[in-house]
Amino acid sequence: MSVDIIKKAKTMNRSLEYAIPLFAFGGALIGIFFWMYNVPVDIRVPIFGCVIASCILAYLAWIRPRKDIVALTTPIYSFIFLGFPIDNFSAVVLEVLYAVSLSILLVRLKYRFGVASAPVLDKKELADPLLKSYVEKTRDVLVLTGAEPAHSAAVVFVRFAEGEFLAAARGAESAIAHLSDASAPRSLQHAFAIVKEQSERLDKSLVQPESFLVFPPEDAGMLAKVPDPKFGKPEEYDTALDNALLVLYAGAWNASETDHPHLLECQPFAQRLLAP
Amino acid sequence: MKIGNVNVKVSILAIAVFVIFTFFLLVASVYSPEVRSQLIWLIPGLFMLLIIPMALNYMSRREYAEMEPQYEAVAKTVRIKLINESMIGKPVRIEGVVERVYFQFLNRPQYLVADRSGAISVKMFTSPEEDVKVNDVVEVLGQVIRRYIAAGEPVINCISIKKIKKSKKDQ
Repeated sequence: MSVDIIKKAKTMNRSLEYAIPLFAFGGALIGIFFWMYNVPVDIRVPIFGCVIASCILAYLAWIRPRKDIVALTTPIYSFIFLGFPIDNFSAVVLEVLYAVSLSILLVRLKYRFGVASAPVLDKKELADPLLKSYVEKTRDVLVLTGAEPAHSAAVVFVRFAEGEFLAAARGAESAIAHLSDASAPRSLQHAFAIVKEQSERLDKSLVQPESFLVFPPEDAGMLAKVPDPKFGKPEEYDTALDNALLVLYAGAWNASETDHPHLLECQPFAQRLLAP
Repeated sequence: MKIGNVNVKVSILAIAVFVIFTFFLLVASVYSPEVRSQLIWLIPGLFMLLIIPMALNYMSRREYAEMEPQYEAVAKTVRIKLINESMIGKPVRIEGVVERVYFQFLNRPQYLVADRSGAISVKMFTSPEEDVKVNDVVEVLGQVIRRYIAAGEPVINCISIKKIKKSKKDQ
């Protein structure tokens, strides 16, 4: 179902991309026709093609995570263009130039401002397919997490995302104290310990230590990322934190439904952590 | 130019405006006696084109210099990847390599700074204390903001940018 919605959104965005030159040049061609055959219609009527095209371009710019302010403001120019009286020949020339500009801006938007954000399917669902598949992959193990540790995992993750490193470290410390019984998933305990250690160092802006906590090999199946050995210890240190935060996110998502709204708000951060 | 402890810089744009208007004024005063009679106002007015940007630059540089120790005290050193939307408003410190420099000619430079974990835009609303070029390794101190105030991805509103290593070319 969700895949269908994403596919539909992609198809619609592609259609909208084609619609921009179609409306802009279509309007310009109609304008040229009116001008050449002296059709007694207000020359500003075909300018509506450019207005529609710029509104579509602004919409495509808006749905991207990186906003292009030039594309976003094109409707303003088109309305200025529409609002001012102008002679027929100048209007036609302007329309053609404007259509060319919109097409160039569309190409610039596509190549410099990335792809559109995935549509929000449901406010109760994870939108990012990669994150969703990671959370599902870890469900069997992390679903055993009790409601309280799962809530702690959510709190620690949210605090960390907000840059409240000391609060995250304290939260992780208290969660470790409560998780000491054997029933809690070991990977979650390791995740809390890693986040605690690194959050304390981040709070004091300390550099990476010589020795630090990492996940034991038996947790390998739970981890989202594998450190690239060519970058050595710094990479190992950073990946340990990324993995620990993602385990906390997955643990909280799988066992604490009441925290889903907070976790959804922090979803972009989890996506960033998951990205290579 | 140094005023007190503040190194004041005038943008190339302000100098260009001054030069263009000086040229216009010279030409106009040669051909028009009316303009010549108004030179007593026009010449100070012309110099205001330089003085006003300089004064603005001095005030903003002084303000930034005053804010720097406050940020220095509270900012946390983070990897670029850890900067996210939930950190809007938080003071941060990052270290990285300058990959691109934009709008330096406007005295409002924007840098693309990258570390092993990612890259982020660093916006500065005044001129930096020292000239920062591509490939310089820098320490950036600033606050996380959205690119367009209420929308856009997180970027850093830079309070200070300092070279911690010379660029590869200079070495």
